[in-house]
Formats: sequence, C-alpha cells, structure tokens
Amino acid sequence: MSGLGPLTMRELKKWYRNPVFLITGLIQPFFWIALFGSAFDFTKLFGAFTLPGVSVTSEVKVALDGAPNYITYIVGGVLTITGLFTAMFAGTNIIFDRRLGPMGRFLSSPIRRSSIVLSKILSATFRILPQALILVVAALVIPNGLVFQNGFNVFDGLVIVAAVILISFIFSSIFSVIAIRMTNMNSIFGIVNLVNLPLMFVSYAMFAPGMMATWLSNLAQYNPVSWSAEAMRTVIIYGNSTTLSQWSQIGWWLGGLAILAAALILFTAYMAEKEIRD
Amino acid sequence: MTEIIKTENLTKIYHGHVKAVENLNIDINEGEIYGLLGPNGAGKTTTINMLTTRIAPTSGTALVAGFDIVRDSLDVRKSIGVVPQDLTADEDLTGVENLKMVAQFYDVPKLVAEERIERLLKLVDMEEPAYRLVRGYSGGMRKRLELIVGLVNEPKILFLDEPTLGLDVQTRTQMWNYVREIQKKLDVTIILTSHYLEEIDALADRVSIIDHGQIMITGTPQELKASLKGDVVTVTFKTQEDANTMKSLPSAVEVTDSGPNSVRIKVENADSSLPDVINYISSKRLSTIRLTVQKPSLDEVFLEYTGRDIRAEDPGDARKAMINMRRLRK
Repeated sequence: MSGLGPLTMRELKKWYRNPVFLITGLIQPFFWIALFGSAFDFTKLFGAFTLPGVSVTSEVKVALDGAPNYITYIVGGVLTITGLFTAMFAGTNIIFDRRLGPMGRFLSSPIRRSSIVLSKILSATFRILPQALILVVAALVIPNGLVFQNGFNVFDGLVIVAAVILISFIFSSIFSVIAIRMTNMNSIFGIVNLVNLPLMFVSYAMFAPGMMATWLSNLAQYNPVSWSAEAMRTVIIYGNSTTLSQWSQIGWWLGGLAILAAALILFTAYMAEKEIRD
Repeated sequence: MTEIIKTENLTKIYHGHVKAVENLNIDINEGEIYGLLGPNGAGKTTTINMLTTRIAPTSGTALVAGFDIVRDSLDVRKSIGVVPQDLTADEDLTGVENLKMVAQFYDVPKLVAEERIERLLKLVDMEEPAYRLVRGYSGGMRKRLELIVGLVNEPKILFLDEPTLGLDVQTRTQMWNYVREIQKKLDVTIILTSHYLEEIDALADRVSIIDHGQIMITGTPQELKASLKGDVVTVTFKTQEDANTMKSLPSAVEVTDSGPNSVRIKVENADSSLPDVINYISSKRLSTIRLTVQKPSLDEVFLEYTGRDIRAEDPGDARKAMINMRRLRK
C-alpha cells in the first residue's frame, strides 16, 4: 500500500527515456571535472605569484594535503557538488506533478502521501550514482587527472558511495520539503539559485581550510558539503595507508551526514503526510 | 434499494467562515448514476473531495461503500474510483504504463491487472493508442484514458468530476456512451458532476441541484422538469390591447407579461393546451405575430432553483480550466 515502488519506477522511466537527460548526464561529469579541475587549480593560481628565486611548491603541497595534483584533491568535492546540484531539483518534480495533474491521481489513491515525496528523493539518488561513477572514470582518463597513489580498496569505495547517497538524501529532502506546498516553479528555481553557490563555496569542496578567509573556513566546517568532500578526499588521497585516526574522523563525518539525512527524511515524510495537497 | 453513499450534515468551512458545503444530506443508491449540478463555487467539487477523502469535513459524517470517510479513509479510497476534473495521466508514459502504475497503487496482482487493463481498454476503444506515449493523445483519447484509470481497482463507486469539460460536442456524446456502457457492464455506481445540463439530463438517473453548499432539490430529471408545473407558451401580439385580452385565457395556470405586446402563458401540458390557446386567439380575433412553445429543460429548473444561469463563469477556476483546455486541444 505504500506506492513507493511504482512511483520511483515512474521517475526513473521518465529519466532514462529522455535522451537529453541521458546525454547531458554522460557529458556533464567530464565538463565538471575538467573545468573545476582547471578553473580552481590553486597550484596554478599560486604559480602566477611566483617570485624569482622563491618557490611556493612546498606550500602548495601542504595545501594539497599530500595529493599529487589538484584533480585528485577535488574529485571528492566535485562528486559532492554533483550530488548537491542534482538533488536540488528533486523538488521541481513535485511542482511539475502538481501543475501537470498526476498529483491529483496520487492523492486520491490509497498510497501513503509520504511515498509521493520519498519517491523523488529515492529516484534523485538513483540518478546521481551513475553520474558519480562516470565522474570518477572521467577524472581517471583526463590528462594529469586522478591518481590513487596509495591504492584504493573496497572500504574507500563504500565511503564514496555512502557520502554521495547521504548528500543526495540531505539536499533532495530539503528541497522536497520546500516544494510540498509550492505551486510556482520560478520560486523553487530562485531558491536553488540563491543557495547553490554559497553551499559550494562555503565548504571545503574546492579549497583547503587553510586557504580560506577565517570566517569562511569557520562557517564551512558546519556545512555537510564539507563533511562529504573531506571524507571522500581522505580515502582518495590516503587509500590503503589511511590511518586509524583518519578513519575515526571519516566516521564522524559520515555519522554526521547519516544523522542529518535520517532526520531530514523523517521530517520530509511527516510534512508530506500532513501538508501535501493538490 | 441499498444506499451506497449516505451523508449526514456534511459541512466544510474554509478559513473559519467560508461555508463551502453546509449540512449536506444526500443518499445515493447502489447502481444509479447520480448527478450533482450546480454553478461554480456551489460546493460540488468540495463535496466530491470530501467523499473521496481528499479533504476532511469540518463537521458531519458520510459513509461511502459502508466506510466512514474520516475514520476509514483508506478503505474508502480502495472502494472508489476517481476521475478528477484535471487530467492526471503522466504524459511521459504510455497509456498502459499509467494504468499499470495506478493498478500497483491498489496492489492489484500483476496478471489480474494486465487482464483487467486489456478489458478496460477495449471498453473505451483504446487498444491501439494504449501503447503510445500519452503526450501524443488527442483530448478525447486522454479523457477516455482518465475514465478507465479510475476503474483499474474495480471500484464499487466511480466519481466523475466534469468528465467532458473542454471536449467538442461530438466527443462529448461519445463519452456519454462510454459512461453508460461502463455503468451497464461493470455495475458501478456513478457520481457525476457537470456544468452541462444536457449531460446530466442524458446520463443521470437522479440529480441534485446544489447551490451555496446546500441541496436545493433532488429527483429524476423528469421529476425536476415536472416540478416546474407546466410548459410555457409565449405569444406576441400586434397591440398591447390584444396581449391584455390574452391574459384572461381560462385554461392557463399562470399568465405574465413578457416584453412589449407579449405574454408568457404557463400551461399544464402544451400538447393538449395549445389548441385551447389557438381557439381563444381566433375567437377573440386577436392578431398574433409570433407564438412559441417551450417544454421545460433542466436549464429552467436550474434557473428556478438557483436564480442563476449555469453558464456564468467564475474566474477562480480559470487557471486550471485553461491548462486543461490547452492540453485537450492538441
């Protein structure tokens, strides 16, 4: 009687049948990793300030936290942001359903109202996973790209998958709650535009904490985008040689993400049962 | 006859003071097509929404298929089919995919659902387009799909909210045939709301006229027309003097002025009274210009009980109506 299964299937059918979604979904990870990897490459940015006789290579190495290059450093950040940006649009589908009619059908069916919204969250997460995979492949194949200098094991892979899924849950829940009573598509696009860049830049996704203004860095440590980016970054850079204390730090980050995701999903389900209408 | 729907003082008040539906008491019998007729904002859709558990009543109760609409809302939803005013099918899926998805909402086993869907598609002549995307459907096809989406759970009761809104006259008549066919073959009770008086007249076994959230009158369309007590003969004369003479026609139930030199004569039955009228005119040597006979229609019944013309539009529904129209016109 939940309806979650058929509703999630519906979302996924709509997604994989749309050639534009599919092609942009395949190309976008390449663009992102190549563009983010070059535009924010602080090893190059520092290069511009190099004075004759003074080398900044060692400082840059410190900022890179041991990563062999900037792409390796930001893959975790870009994976998080891919999840963030895709998840933000989970809410728009609720408004589409309301404006185009299917919502009326769902509301008069004997299904749980929360499953209408949870199906959007679940399908957003399913859509993000292949993108994340393509992104990692893209990072590996581009020149001067991702290098697993300390190897890579199953647990590292699980950390990445868990972080991507949790980020997707968190942000698709937030934007679904916003959309539960909304009828105007422009409002949600406005909100997405308002918060996407702050979420990205007030985080450790692109830059190391030491390179940021103090106030920014202080704020960024509370941003779940930072937790996800840092957790992934640690396993990507340290791989098999990740230390116990690093694992415990990863545990805190993922634990924080999990608690936040669980709380937001419960809140979303509660709000949907109570508030969703045509 | 068994009652399948019974409401008791059903009331919905919005924002604490807007009485959309007030102390509504209706009984709907099993197997009948029951029409709910009223102008926009009369409370039709609010009533339907309460009976289909989309909104909760402020006070009062209703039993639908034996279940309380508040306490057993899930059981109510399982026993009913709903065809809302708006189109609800997903345009990015095929007709069959839409039907299967809704069947899953009701936990209909896969094989049963497939067999049932085939049968329903046949009933409304949709076997061929069923495997195409809904996006490419004509307005009539979309409405036919909506009709059977409401039937995949084999409901005891089917709610049709404005089933032919926005369709052309031909397609509308076709829809009526499908609705009759469904009622006959599937033995389902149908609750129908409509703006179109001719639709209610053509389909409904019984009809209630609703206005300001209250039932004004209930009966068969024939009874309602009969309640107007007679047909109307309107005669226009060359002079007002002749018109005044006409007012003393002995067999008239009621004679009133109707414009310059005209009188409106209410008679019990125009078929038997018309000779009287003509004999009277020739015996008094009155010179007539025009003589019309009007049998009562639901239009007049409606006018009589609500004091309003049903065609007057309310801008509140305009946005949804426009969206529907735009999609139906494709």
